[in-house]
Amino acid sequence: MNSKTAIKFSVLLLLFVLSCALSLLFGGSETMHLSDITSQDFIFWQIRFPKTITAIIAGSALAAAGLILQIIFRNPLAGPYVLGISSGASLMVALSILAGNSFHVFSDFFIGKSFIVVSAISGSFLVTLLILLISKKVNSNVILLLIGLMFSQICGAIQTALEYFSDPNSLKSFVIWGMGSLANTTNKDLLLFVPLAVLCLASLLFFIKPINALLLGQNYAQNIGINFKQSRFYLILISSVLTGLTTAFCGPIAFVGIAVPILSRMIFKTSKQQIHLLSTVLLGSTILLFADALCNSLLLQVSLPINMITTFIGAPLVIYLMFKNKHW
Amino acid sequence: MKGEAMISIKNARLGYKKSGAEISVLKNIGLDFYAGDVIGIVGLNGVGKSTLLKTLCGLLPPLDGEVRIEGELMTQIALSELAKKVAIVLTEKIGGFNLTTFDVVAAGQMPYTNSFNRLEKKHKEIIKAAIEVCGLKEHQFKLINELSDGLFQKTIIAKALAQQTPILLLDEPSAFLDYASKHDLFLLLKKLAIKENKCVLVSSHDLDLLLKYCSKLLVIEEKLAHLISVDEAKTDAAFLRIGGGFI
Repeated sequence: MNSKTAIKFSVLLLLFVLSCALSLLFGGSETMHLSDITSQDFIFWQIRFPKTITAIIAGSALAAAGLILQIIFRNPLAGPYVLGISSGASLMVALSILAGNSFHVFSDFFIGKSFIVVSAISGSFLVTLLILLISKKVNSNVILLLIGLMFSQICGAIQTALEYFSDPNSLKSFVIWGMGSLANTTNKDLLLFVPLAVLCLASLLFFIKPINALLLGQNYAQNIGINFKQSRFYLILISSVLTGLTTAFCGPIAFVGIAVPILSRMIFKTSKQQIHLLSTVLLGSTILLFADALCNSLLLQVSLPINMITTFIGAPLVIYLMFKNKHW
Repeated sequence: MKGEAMISIKNARLGYKKSGAEISVLKNIGLDFYAGDVIGIVGLNGVGKSTLLKTLCGLLPPLDGEVRIEGELMTQIALSELAKKVAIVLTEKIGGFNLTTFDVVAAGQMPYTNSFNRLEKKHKEIIKAAIEVCGLKEHQFKLINELSDGLFQKTIIAKALAQQTPILLLDEPSAFLDYASKHDLFLLLKKLAIKENKCVLVSSHDLDLLLKYCSKLLVIEEKLAHLISVDEAKTDAAFLRIGGGFI
């Protein structure tokens, strides 16, 4: 790592710490003071703290999943949300909540949560495999994105049908969950969310060589000694678990997965993916923390859905980047 | 007389699979290639030159028969070991993701780096040498999708050199090169074969260059391939047909 990279990382780290503080102190309907934290304050420890941790983990997970997807598809515009992978996870969660209510799986906390998590992961895994299958038939990056869009429309339509036939209580929780929220995760949830996500992120360290080789495409990757199909399978699995996990706990969160890796490539003008892995994790959590602080402080009485903010930040950024930089 | 063949193909039928069905491109292939040779592969467009080269580096499994590298069955060689034996230059384009010329050439050293792909001094020296040999020194920090086709081609050739393999496979490497660079490339290949005892297989449509620099020619026509010496080319009917009367 040269000194320029080190400086950039220091700035990112500083922003990360700042955003943590912002989210902890301003990420709710009232401003906290540092003195509140030392006491056994309920709002801080039961509401703010899990929300901030959730933002860090969800941001890291989605950004890393986005980075992996962009490399696997060798498409700088890929991401869990735009390819319909988050929607696949959402659909499976909707299905599992309906099915789970009728089979009473939610009477036990961990069984109930695990059930939702496993459904979300299988949903995102299935959609990723489908997209991968289709990507072999189409050569164009843009067509692939359109197909991903269609996938999320289909998943959305099925979900709407499910919502139409569900009782008012489930309906409300579906709709709110679908907007994406960092606030629904309790400290108990974190016991499942954090270790799994950290495990997945850490496992990416074993794939630094394949990830870098995949940039050259299947043939060259194989010729420099990488088992392409095996690596790709594991990487898809990891990114699906990261996406599914986050979607299960926070709902589908838009644009973090696509925008953060692009931003990272603009900041660190390198092709070394180990640098991008680290920086997407930092950038992803920072952006989500800022978004959280922002959506809580824009209107002091109500907190806005996080997706509204991430879309407002992410979508124009993607459009801008498409115009500005043809190479990413 | 020459010892063990670097590459040996026996009773092979080569081709690929498309939606389950086998499409055979070359049949009855039995060939031996030795170290120190530069073998020029000639044939009309679509005749199977790329299929042959992709088979020889393990990207395509043979439909029938066997391929041995230095006496060992290709299917029994681990990918990480095969990467140290065979390097290939393909015709496909790669780019994006901030990849520079240096990065692509450095990828050639990936079989030799640790699992974090850390480039040590010895790796960097080999990469530097490959970059210099291909005349890319002043272009090494450019993004590869900003390079001209010719410079891109040289980058991929440098990557293959950085792989330090006894076998070099090149699929139409001279296609985008300027006149002088074409000669430079073939001179380099000849030097690598003679001085470093490499086995070089190169497909090209530049028949005059192949005649000038190669030690043998592999002529592919109508799903069959036969090996001739350069002297035999003037009387080889298939070669003359490929030349279209202009040779």
